Amino acid sequence: MSRRELELYFGPQHIGMVGNFSITLSVEGDTIVEARANPGYLHRGFEKLMEYRNWVQNFPMVCRMNVVEPDSMEMVYAMAVEKLAEIDVPERAQYIRTIVLELSRLASHLFGCWAYANMLGLDTVAQWAMAYRDFILDLFEELMGGRVYHIYICPGGVRRDLPQGFEDKVMNFLKALGNHVPEFDAAFFNNRLFYERAKGIGKISREEAIELGATGQVLRAVGLQYDIRKIEPYAAYANVNFDVPTREDGDAYSRIWVIRDEMLQSASIIMQCLEKLPQGKVYKRTPNPFKWNIPAGDAYVRVESSRGELGLYLVSDGGNKPYRVHFRTPSFMHGIPILEKLLRGANISDVGNIMISLYVVAPEIDR
Amino acid sequence: MDRNQLSKWIKQPGKMGHKYSLWAVYFCTGCGIIEVPPVITSRWDAERFGVMAAPSPRHANLFMITGYVSLKTLKAIIRTYELMPEPKYTVAFGSCPINGGMYWDSYNTIKHLDKYIPIDGWIAGCMPRPEAIFIGVTKLWMMIEKGAATGYVRYRENYEYYRKNQEKVLGKLEWPPLYPLGEKG
Amino acid sequence: MMGKEIEREIKILFSDAVIDSTEKNRLKIRIKKDLAIYLLEFLKSRGFNYLVAISCVDWIKEGEFELVYQIGKIDDPLRIMVKTRISRDRAEFKSAINVYKNAQTYEREIHELFGIRFEGNPRLIPLFLENWNDIPPFRKDFDTRKYVKETFEGIPTLEESK
Repeated sequence: MSRRELELYFGPQHIGMVGNFSITLSVEGDTIVEARANPGYLHRGFEKLMEYRNWVQNFPMVCRMNVVEPDSMEMVYAMAVEKLAEIDVPERAQYIRTIVLELSRLASHLFGCWAYANMLGLDTVAQWAMAYRDFILDLFEELMGGRVYHIYICPGGVRRDLPQGFEDKVMNFLKALGNHVPEFDAAFFNNRLFYERAKGIGKISREEAIELGATGQVLRAVGLQYDIRKIEPYAAYANVNFDVPTREDGDAYSRIWVIRDEMLQSASIIMQCLEKLPQGKVYKRTPNPFKWNIPAGDAYVRVESSRGELGLYLVSDGGNKPYRVHFRTPSFMHGIPILEKLLRGANISDVGNIMISLYVVAPEIDR
Repeated sequence: MDRNQLSKWIKQPGKMGHKYSLWAVYFCTGCGIIEVPPVITSRWDAERFGVMAAPSPRHANLFMITGYVSLKTLKAIIRTYELMPEPKYTVAFGSCPINGGMYWDSYNTIKHLDKYIPIDGWIAGCMPRPEAIFIGVTKLWMMIEKGAATGYVRYRENYEYYRKNQEKVLGKLEWPPLYPLGEKG
Repeated sequence: MMGKEIEREIKILFSDAVIDSTEKNRLKIRIKKDLAIYLLEFLKSRGFNYLVAISCVDWIKEGEFELVYQIGKIDDPLRIMVKTRISRDRAEFKSAINVYKNAQTYEREIHELFGIRFEGNPRLIPLFLENWNDIPPFRKDFDTRKYVKETFEGIPTLEESK
């Protein structure tokens, strides 16, 4: 390090940091020369702990890995166990799972809008986004009993059926959010301030994105239509129509616009599922959890969470506990190599901008 | 304002000022960070209780530890706590700081937070609801009123005990002791 | 179909690879450790330029570690899993960093949690843990409950210490 460089800690206690994560910056004046990500503040050794608990006891553990969107974690674990144990899920349960996953994606995107707008200083839009997210948490509380951690999607289906009048409440909420979209656009997405602050910041090219293992919005913002719901459909996604929005530039502005377009697609998917919801059972009985042995084998399953490709590699040796569980989380690649690459040569005041537009969630990196 | 409150404000303005304007350090420590943005935004408004997010620990007097604490986070928490000016209050959220919670057998998390920094109040839940957080804040007001929120006094008087526990789990600490060790009184 | 073509080419070039293609969209190839990097280079030259994950499994009864590379292509749903085994006592392997650039971070994590050394990786420094002086924690002979009992539960509370 030359004498003109200074080492700064964009550390865990910082007003611009969302989540418990730290970056060590070497700066020269106002420009960043080198950045080193410093994860590990939230490491619990999840994958080791899951080897000590049996298949059903791992449910409440799995959803606590990503606090912003716990339903996709439950979905990927349930899909892996169903694949190894060869369990079929009833049709109604697949549709209800789709509705819950899309509501969770909306809540996660609204949380991202709060974080980004708060960082830019547009506080009104942040308050609106958080308030609408709270209405979704009210719906979750009525359906599943908890605001944040649901433990609802389990191998064999979902735990209980929709209560009476639930479909109308969901439709009313979607209509209210839809009526508010022009105001969101005028205040935030079409705002000249947002354009000036985000255009050209954190630009990544198509070759670099594929080379460094990007998924989700980072790939969709460089023009690639990569969505696991279309490539390898799961749940009820093969029966609904939706688009995959893309943009061309690959900077922070494109990524936030991709998020906005995805929210509208999510609302359309939920409305189609509510119309096509079939009747029937929602749960298929699984064996006694204390005596449930799953045959030996391994499986890799993946879902499209709100951040990218979430994958799980599950190995069973024929016992009643998993032998090895490995989560492939999207924030692992976005938060360490891609963030370090994009911060090189950037301005200090853009660190929060780049980090939040890459949609990095700290508990997913550390597990 | 009734006559009872008014007399309290005249007799002890410092204590009433501490109670009704608790500024919280903005530090997202664990799982519980998911319930803090709803608390400080418009639906469950925390500013009507006087609680605001302060950017620097030098301006704050409430430290909310939201969830489990890993070893690296414990270092950051101790440094932040020692930077805050007195009187300062700490509140722990969730069941993980109480007895380890869901990660009771993890090699990287702290089981009883009270052995490393002093805690004034505990809020149960996994994660606590915003209403539970507000009930915790009002209970903290009652404790400050009676003079029972004395975590920082405990820290000053038993600093040797706390520093010994911190060094046992973290190894040699890089910063000098806050209060002089080995002195009685 | 893409999967069948690749399977045929691999059978010709790598004659002692064991291929399992019973599952839809998944191709599992088991290969000896000396030829694993060459197989990765061959797959990259055929257009599979996207490394998704590297996992590690500790088969303690057989005395081996198993490394699993998940490879894919952007516009194809096929996923290829390349599995190779290395000995547990001499836990070393050649790094895949010259083939796939983002293997560096995965190898750093596996080095910290399992203790495998990757030759050619310039950055095998700790990622999650600090001042860790026990055996790598994800190995099967590390008992996390015993470690917790010894380290954390022996500390007395404030009243007990007076």
